[in-house]
Amino acid sequence: MLSIKNLHASVEGKEILKGINLEIKAGEVHAIMGPNGSGKSTLSQVLAGNEAFEITEGEITLNGENLLELETEERAREGIFLAFQYPVEIPGVSNLQFLRTAVNAMRHHKGEAEMNAAEFMKLAKEVSKQVDLDPAFLKRGVNEGFSGGEKKRNEIMQALLLQPKLAILDETDSGLDIDALQVVSNGVNALRAEDRAILMVTHYQRLLNHIVPDHVHVLAGGKIVKSGGRELALELEERGYGWLGIKDEEEAAANSAN
Amino acid sequence: MKPAPTLSAAFLHPAGQSLPEPLLALRKQRGTALVDMPLPTRKTENWKYSSKYLKLTDDMAISLPAEGKTGSGLAVPGYKVAFLNGVMLPEASDYPDLDGISIERFGDLDDVEAASLADRMDSTLNSSSDKGVVQMARLNSARFEDGLLIRLKPNAVLDQPLFIVHEVNADASGSAYPRIFVDAGRHSQITLVEEYISSGGEPVMVNTVTEFTLGDGANVTSVRLNMEGENVQHIGATGVSQQRNSRFESHCVGFGGPLRRHDLQVRLEGEGAECKLNGVVVTQGKQHYDNHTTIEHVAAHCNSQETYRNIAADQSHAVFNGRIHIHQDAQKSNADMNNKNLLLSNGAEIDTKPELEIYADDVKCAHGATIGQLDEVSLFYLVSRGIGRREANVLLTMAFINELVEQIPVEQVRDTAHTRLNQFFDQTFEGA
Repeated sequence: MLSIKNLHASVEGKEILKGINLEIKAGEVHAIMGPNGSGKSTLSQVLAGNEAFEITEGEITLNGENLLELETEERAREGIFLAFQYPVEIPGVSNLQFLRTAVNAMRHHKGEAEMNAAEFMKLAKEVSKQVDLDPAFLKRGVNEGFSGGEKKRNEIMQALLLQPKLAILDETDSGLDIDALQVVSNGVNALRAEDRAILMVTHYQRLLNHIVPDHVHVLAGGKIVKSGGRELALELEERGYGWLGIKDEEEAAANSAN
Repeated sequence: MKPAPTLSAAFLHPAGQSLPEPLLALRKQRGTALVDMPLPTRKTENWKYSSKYLKLTDDMAISLPAEGKTGSGLAVPGYKVAFLNGVMLPEASDYPDLDGISIERFGDLDDVEAASLADRMDSTLNSSSDKGVVQMARLNSARFEDGLLIRLKPNAVLDQPLFIVHEVNADASGSAYPRIFVDAGRHSQITLVEEYISSGGEPVMVNTVTEFTLGDGANVTSVRLNMEGENVQHIGATGVSQQRNSRFESHCVGFGGPLRRHDLQVRLEGEGAECKLNGVVVTQGKQHYDNHTTIEHVAAHCNSQETYRNIAADQSHAVFNGRIHIHQDAQKSNADMNNKNLLLSNGAEIDTKPELEIYADDVKCAHGATIGQLDEVSLFYLVSRGIGRREANVLLTMAFINELVEQIPVEQVRDTAHTRLNQFFDQTFEGA
């Protein structure tokens, strides 16, 4: 489904991704782990089409289609979804209006009729229950005054509404307490499907107890330095990143560069 | 040194003699006072950013004729009064005879009523410390040909909004001078909607004055919608004087033009009076819009709340000047002024200036002004959900003003504003 070959990306002239290769098939769940500053979030943003990052080399295809030629909104309509590490607060735009506009943009793209306000309200209420978000949140500004956990649940709610082909979850577990983690994980697991792939970007292993990945990759210094099965995550949990030759200095340097 | 430009004498010849004698006398007296009136220049503080847009040519001095035309007007439900080129059109107006409420054109007043009105005209635009601002309003006083006097007896309540549609027909160059005076008695209530529109394409100038006097406990809502064409220079003034415990609410929605100027002056003269002033301005192309507001806290224990938003696209230019003057005896005043501005292009300009003058020592007075652009991160978030660029831009721009548009208490005005905003979005975010 998703194929990344020799991907290099820079921001403000500084190279962050230095040759990423990754193949993800439909139905698979992949986890990308790595120390802070290794390029995990950059990879997520590049896949979603953030123009702040410059692609200097390499290619990304989604079901054979060149993703790099598509604008952010076109990628979304082709099925790329990024759950943001830091969901954006947009006061003045109601969550309901935002979600309905997004869902209708997708439906329009697929040649389906747009949903009217009443139809959408019904759907949104159902899905909000799935992520344990009070429907009152629909009336509030997008993420406005939401707690960290509520923002993350709102991200998963969007994924459930938009039904992407590839869902990228950027540090979706960060800032969640145990209960919220459970709710979010249930939402993500509900997304798992034969024709859908999930890419989880995470610093910690704990999310992977709830959402069991098929493949785990370690990203360090802008490259994937090791890939394996679920056991790799457990090993990282136990031994840290040091045994892979990722030096503490590198992490520290990468952190300060951020 | 070049002599300062003065108002051309051509502007001192009012048309229309069908006013009662006291009003004709007032007009004449005001005209005399305007001889050699200096025109604002960029050195005139309150016209600093706008004087370059003011272009009064002698062919604009001619009063636009009101005969032989029927105002195309806006389709307005309910009570309405139509004005064409500053003169009321009774046949296009429609309002009932209401108990305790009189709506009369100036020409229909008897001499006693007209004398009483003449005494009070301009009284609300007489700000003690702002002489220059009202200059252009005096031109209206020297030139008005007709006008509307709305009087509400104590406790009278107008049960639905009264629309005043001011159309200027610009088939020829000239000017028009609409005038409204609202006398709201004790505990009376009225919502007045003024819509300024135009037809025809010749360069014209519209010079308006609207005055409100609010008795104790009166409750007045004023909605002003400015949508004249690209050929219309608009210089308007609204004056408000408020007695004890009265409440005045203003909603101004303005779209830009070659020159748009609105001065809004509110005097809180009785204890416990409060005002709420909302404003939304949208400019594009090479348009201009300048809002100057003054709130005077004269009496103690009054509240004022002001929220203005400007959106400027292309090479347009918006100006906001908000002045709050708290007099020495106005203890326990509570004033809050907020102005936010959105630049949609690198070529657009917005100038904003809060001015506070505080002579009392026990007051709460807050003000804030910001200028910014659409947030890239928010934009990315929206488009990453498949929402198109245009739609995302519209959502974020509307988010900036939606709160104020939704507060307009008249649905028809909200709808009209939305329609015009959509045109603006189509033109501004076209190809986005």
